[in-house]
Amino acid sequence: MWQYVLRRFGEGFITLIALSFVVFGSVHLTGDPADYLMPLTEAHDQKIYEAQKKQMGLDRPFIVQYWDYINSAVLFDFGTSFVIQKPISELILTKLPATVHLAICGFLISIVLGIPLGIMSAVKRDSFLDKLTKGFAVFGLAAPQFWVAIMLILFLGGQLQWFPTYGRGDIEGWWPEWHQIPQTLWHLALPSTVLALSVTAAIMRLARSAMLEILDSDYVKFAQVKGLSNRLVIWRHAAKNALIPVLTFGGITLAGLLNGSVVVEVVFAWPGVGLLLLDGVTQRDFPLTEAAILLSGFFYITTAVLIDIAYGWVDPRVRVR
Amino acid sequence: MTSMNFEPIQLTRGQAVRKWIKDHNPPWIALTILFLLLFCGLFANFIVGDPMTNDLKARQIPPFTDIKHIFGTDILGKDMTARLVFGCRSVLMVTAPSIIVALLIGTAVGLLAGYARGWVDSVLMRITDATLGFPSILVAMLIVTFVGTGYTGVIIAVTATTWARFARMIRGEVLSVRERDFVVLAGILGVSPVMIMWRHLMPNVINTLMVMISLMIGQVILLEASLSFLGIGMSPGEPAWGIMVAEGRQQLLTTWWVSLFPGILITLVVMAFNFFGDWLRDYLDPRLRRAR
Repeated sequence: MWQYVLRRFGEGFITLIALSFVVFGSVHLTGDPADYLMPLTEAHDQKIYEAQKKQMGLDRPFIVQYWDYINSAVLFDFGTSFVIQKPISELILTKLPATVHLAICGFLISIVLGIPLGIMSAVKRDSFLDKLTKGFAVFGLAAPQFWVAIMLILFLGGQLQWFPTYGRGDIEGWWPEWHQIPQTLWHLALPSTVLALSVTAAIMRLARSAMLEILDSDYVKFAQVKGLSNRLVIWRHAAKNALIPVLTFGGITLAGLLNGSVVVEVVFAWPGVGLLLLDGVTQRDFPLTEAAILLSGFFYITTAVLIDIAYGWVDPRVRVR
Repeated sequence: MTSMNFEPIQLTRGQAVRKWIKDHNPPWIALTILFLLLFCGLFANFIVGDPMTNDLKARQIPPFTDIKHIFGTDILGKDMTARLVFGCRSVLMVTAPSIIVALLIGTAVGLLAGYARGWVDSVLMRITDATLGFPSILVAMLIVTFVGTGYTGVIIAVTATTWARFARMIRGEVLSVRERDFVVLAGILGVSPVMIMWRHLMPNVINTLMVMISLMIGQVILLEASLSFLGIGMSPGEPAWGIMVAEGRQQLLTTWWVSLFPGILITLVVMAFNFFGDWLRDYLDPRLRRAR
């Protein structure tokens, strides 16, 4: 087991190094930050350009620059944003709570809806419920998030005015005050629903097929033959085992949600990391993009490693490869 | 004595086709949608007028009110019907090249990793996993930052996020096929590795590959639409469905149809590809049919 844990951590570490190298390298291959920062009037003045380069440390060898960058990145220092003249770590930290709230909310919705519905539709195969969830899964996996978001804004926000359609209310930071909680949830309703849509569909499908397989297995049949009540067989014996693949998928999805809610954040003007990242991309703010991608990568890889280890703990067969 | 003679039943061609259809139950609706997509994409300029002409006198016409503009017009008076039909062409123009390039890279990497094994496999699979284990929209955004937006940027971004899936899948298949007798024997006979990969491994992978392609196309369409919607995909003003949804969003309450229709089309097309892929998988591998 320890060998497996160490190997997984080692692999994760190497992947992270590779990622940072690629991200850092591609910035330096494709664009010249010094050139980008040159004032337009002095664009052709070689002296100022050289000075700028020297001041930014761009005249040193690539490896030295990379090493410096990594050293400060470990201490959570990613330099200063080109466009908004602020430390990047500070920018990201102020935007993080919004993204985390949204991701957790969306994740909870998809778990709470997806798992029971998937299990139920496997148990009551070909029933009306099964067809309904199947249809929902087909739609959820095919409909583009941004479009569903806009349609929800149009009908529930615009026509009926039931929900707010942008921002997260007037809360800031991690914890809302007590009296702000209803308002916070109100603002979360539409964005987290949209975020949950495709994940719910995927979890449903996964839970359903895992459950179908298990319902067909000998030990479930045996439990039924023993005369255990249906409810006991389904929820105690079968569902528990059906949950293993679902939870693995769920874990990696949570990491994905924390990273990949860009579209939802844009449509709902949700002041999170995704919106920050998009600004970085459209304004070609290299250090910002670099930092955001590296952090997501760190986060994603760590989660993946932890999930693998948990999986290896539950199922010893995974450890051997 | 009655003589009993059993002659093999000879089906006419028509009967054979009907039997095939009855046995395999192809997804007609999905196939129709895919055919329409292809048809509209290829012949867009013969079916409808110019999707880029502004007609300021005919702005914001609601759908189904004007016979000349069945799906209405947008804020600048561009005909929505034309833009929707030309959207099919955008879909084809992005998906075809990016899937082909991703397929070539992925197949090469997968075959190589699966056949060579050892450190080549380790290195290639590390890279593949790093690409795979990352939300594709982030990878695409990273690439767009460097390459820039527009058609080329989209193709590169989409390809970069897609090839790894093919590589992973093909490597797995190759690993299972390469131990079989005919591959081992070919190696003993002195057939060159490249020839083994092409002649002996590739044909055994092709079925899974076909399924993979049709399922991936749906993902590619969604990714391209998302990028275009975010303003970092196809150039603004192009008749791409993602861009049209974004255009309608600017005046959502007055011109809701500009957002509504392209979104429906994206959903339908992605659904069609998913259905077709599922059907193809069942058709090519009857063992899986039970699991539905």
